[in-house]
Amino acid sequence: MKTVNGSTLRDVIQQNITILLGVLIIALFVLGEVISHGFLSFGHIGAVLRTASFLGIVSIGQSLVILTAGIDLSVGALITMGNVFTCMLINGLDSNTLWSIAVIILLGATFGTFNGLGVAYLRISPLVMTLAIGSLVTGITLIVSQGAPKGLASPMLRFIGVGSVLHGIPVIVIVWLLLSLLVIMLLRTTIFGRKIYYIGANARASYLSGIKVNTNLMLVYAISGGSAALTGALMAGYTHTAFLGIGNEYILWSITAVVIGGTSLTGGKGGYAGTIAGAILLVLLESLLTVIKMPEAGRKIATGLLILIMISIYFRQKNQRT
Amino acid sequence: MTANQRNLRLYLPVYSILMLIYALACFIEPTFFTWNNNVNLFTRITPLIFAGMAQTFVLLTGGIDLSIGAIIGLTNVIAASLPYVDTPLNMLLWLLIPPLVGLIMGLVNGLIITKGGFPPLIVTLATGAIWKGVTLFIMPIPGGSVSLAIATHVNGMLFGIIPVPLLIFFGGVVIFHFVLTRTTFGRSIYAIGGNESVAYESGIACQTIKLWVYGFSGLLGAFAGMFLSAWMFSADPLVGEPYILNSIAVAVIAGTSLMGGRGGVAGIIGASYIFQLLSNILNLLAISTFYQFVAKGLVLIVALAWTSSETTGYLLESARRLILPERSTTPEVR
Repeated sequence: MKTVNGSTLRDVIQQNITILLGVLIIALFVLGEVISHGFLSFGHIGAVLRTASFLGIVSIGQSLVILTAGIDLSVGALITMGNVFTCMLINGLDSNTLWSIAVIILLGATFGTFNGLGVAYLRISPLVMTLAIGSLVTGITLIVSQGAPKGLASPMLRFIGVGSVLHGIPVIVIVWLLLSLLVIMLLRTTIFGRKIYYIGANARASYLSGIKVNTNLMLVYAISGGSAALTGALMAGYTHTAFLGIGNEYILWSITAVVIGGTSLTGGKGGYAGTIAGAILLVLLESLLTVIKMPEAGRKIATGLLILIMISIYFRQKNQRT
Repeated sequence: MTANQRNLRLYLPVYSILMLIYALACFIEPTFFTWNNNVNLFTRITPLIFAGMAQTFVLLTGGIDLSIGAIIGLTNVIAASLPYVDTPLNMLLWLLIPPLVGLIMGLVNGLIITKGGFPPLIVTLATGAIWKGVTLFIMPIPGGSVSLAIATHVNGMLFGIIPVPLLIFFGGVVIFHFVLTRTTFGRSIYAIGGNESVAYESGIACQTIKLWVYGFSGLLGAFAGMFLSAWMFSADPLVGEPYILNSIAVAVIAGTSLMGGRGGVAGIIGASYIFQLLSNILNLLAISTFYQFVAKGLVLIVALAWTSSETTGYLLESARRLILPERSTTPEVR
């Protein structure tokens, strides 16, 4: 399949992944409206975006880590930790809210730094290092909460989690939008952002050209830890009380959102804009399948098929031999 | 480095850690050393050993299998959904159908990965979701049953002294160690993991070997699922979930590199033992399960730092330099 200027259709798609995903999202919304009236209503779009925000915020860290050719499996445990600790620290009071969230982000970043230390200096594979830290964080959460999370979210956090402004735009979506702009700016315009791509493309070459690979890796994992803990804190605003195990699903979901968004698992290729679309697409599909009353088994199969279809569209590596 | 030295370097860390933890366990809790407790441990580690071996095969080629949990779950459910009256035909069905299904699932993984050229991580993540969906269609809640004769045999003792699980996993590890080290297929796996282009240039049919490696992985996952069904005497669709990450952890503690080409299955028994020993010790000490997560995480990190080939290699290299200072090698940089 050649187009006019000699590039294949797949090349065109690969260069415009975000547009392709956008078209898919609109198509799914329209399909939903056809199946069930009200799917395309302002309220429902807001609800989908609200759910996608949590996935999107945790995927910030996951995107950066995957861009460096790593992976972060500790996000699930860190979300739960953020969720449980936020409720304990805030205890329903507005005056506690801001400093509590700051403490939670710092705590998440600290555990993220441990991930980075293991990956960068001990040369432990990110997959197992983050798995180990995840287990550690789960244990700490359980010990501190004694298995029965206490406390409540404050009205201020509730407003961020479930409130809306300007006739129905959820606050959390605005938070996500601001964070997204920040991350996209970080990746596209700052030196640190460029270094992330270089490290992912070729860690050894970037080391030899003078990039402090280890320090930057630690920073990336710290951001991932911080964004996961922040997600947990914001979720407390949505759920009002804390849940143990709230983050478990998000380990694979965040990876899926990043990959559907066109970021290469081998590092160095992709960006956050695709991840945003990936997160919305995932949540939208789930919502659509719920509307047609698909049981959980069918939803799992559909998600699996979606991943396979998406990677077959643009994840094809140059396969040299048969 | 000769093959023996290489094996020593690979398996010394894991078995030395095992000895250490075992000695510590016997010291702090004498009841630990009883035969009953150990028989109990053998039963518990058998599925983990098979899942770990399944993961090792794939890791050796430089891939990864995240669908192993779903394969274990689906074969577990199928094994417990077959007719369970004690007739020879039913037992034969129990022995044949789950491995066949496991093999097919593995081969599907392999086909998508080799024909499509997609990253194994995301392919097995996707197929894992699909297998899990199929499992939940067959059996949404735990249930089913297994032939009584099979269950009693699998959980019993041979000649009233040797626990059958010990025989099963020991036999399995010996067979697959033989496959990896003494057959062309096994050597090709290492070659592909070491450097696929070179392996291809040397005339190895990389794609075919990789396809069958995923097939083997599915087969081994099926054995884990079958054993679980016989042990639990029923099935649970979500039984495989913990094995996704535990199998990777066990394989890595056993000395297999995630980059491929280095490792083996001989360390799996030690690694699984370490894994199970930890919760066992903490249970015997009546320590809350909450602390077990922390302990597991910490030990995993220590074991990883110790077995991760770079660190061990660095320590061994330093030790060698102390003894033989004249031979210098270029320092390894990232």
